[in-house]
Amino acid sequence: MSSRRTLPAVVALLGVTGLGLITVGLTADPARPPRPPVDAPARTHPAPDLAPLPRAAPVRVRIPAIGVRAEVVPVGADAAGVLEVPPLDRPTLAGWYRHGVSPGETGNAVLVGHVDSPAGPAVFFDLGRLRAGQEIQITRADAAVTTFTVDDVRAYPKDRFPSSLVYGPADAAGLRLITCGGRFDAGTGNYVDNIIVFATRTT
Amino acid sequence: MKVSTALCSAALGVGLGTLLLPGAALADTTVSPATTPVGGTVVLTATTCNPKSGDAIFRVTGPNRDQNVRSTTAAAGGGLSAELFTAGFTLGTYTVTATCGDGSSAGSATFTVTPIGAAPAGSGGDSRDNGTLAAGGTLLGTAVAGAVILFRRRRPVSAVA
Repeated sequence: MSSRRTLPAVVALLGVTGLGLITVGLTADPARPPRPPVDAPARTHPAPDLAPLPRAAPVRVRIPAIGVRAEVVPVGADAAGVLEVPPLDRPTLAGWYRHGVSPGETGNAVLVGHVDSPAGPAVFFDLGRLRAGQEIQITRADAAVTTFTVDDVRAYPKDRFPSSLVYGPADAAGLRLITCGGRFDAGTGNYVDNIIVFATRTT
Repeated sequence: MKVSTALCSAALGVGLGTLLLPGAALADTTVSPATTPVGGTVVLTATTCNPKSGDAIFRVTGPNRDQNVRSTTAAAGGGLSAELFTAGFTLGTYTVTATCGDGSSAGSATFTVTPIGAAPAGSGGDSRDNGTLAAGGTLLGTAVAGAVILFRRRRPVSAVA
């Protein structure tokens, strides 16, 4: 008697809970990338005295601390002057800003990569987790492998992007890694911050 | 190199007691700001050119460009200035070499034309939570199976009643 009443209730409860979980699953917030300190001035450690390398495009980037091993392709800017990023359907690629210097030349080389894509976390998802002292290895088209050491990792609101710190002149060989971060604004379909890693060549 | 040569010869000149124009020791060109988003304006200044000897000429060379810009105003801190509008410039680093109205060299400087603003490097991620979806699907499947079993058990009972 009692099981006759309980069983339909259990079945109904299972059904309602299952439907609820499916609804939540379809609309859930995706995993959010780590968030470094916001908008404080970046510092640069004194660079070791290394002879600059000649120009050669980077072809691979490796960041052991956050498990990044990625191919690098050249990128420029679109007609409006906005930095290009590798296509969203190839989220495992990093892009090298080809109008700037190459990694190892005197000046700051710039690499950009997606933090995520519709398929989930992308190549630079964990960039914000990097810490000073950790290493970034770049393999160049001339087969040279050069290592950069992280000086600092910062988040900047996109309307206060530090162009001169990223693209500006430098006396030593530096590297800048850029991705998105901070809050995701569903209204605009964009993250509000850029995460920037500042690094200096050490070997 | 040019600047340090000028400094050395000036020091030597002073050592020899020769009269030199003080400005010659500080031959210099500046670009402000040193980086600009494409489409921005930079101010080129030849700090040592004497406005009385005529306009300075700034030669701007870079990725797709070799153009001369004539000075338009006397700079507040001395020398001559011109504004340079970077719309249509290819991104990259440019060199500015200045020559004073009297033909003397006023040194050189570089500036960088950069992309505009921030990098659009994220999509907001995958808006589906596959773990929760799977759990929901399992529960719903169990419920459907339960309902079917209940329905089949109930039919003979209701037939008797």
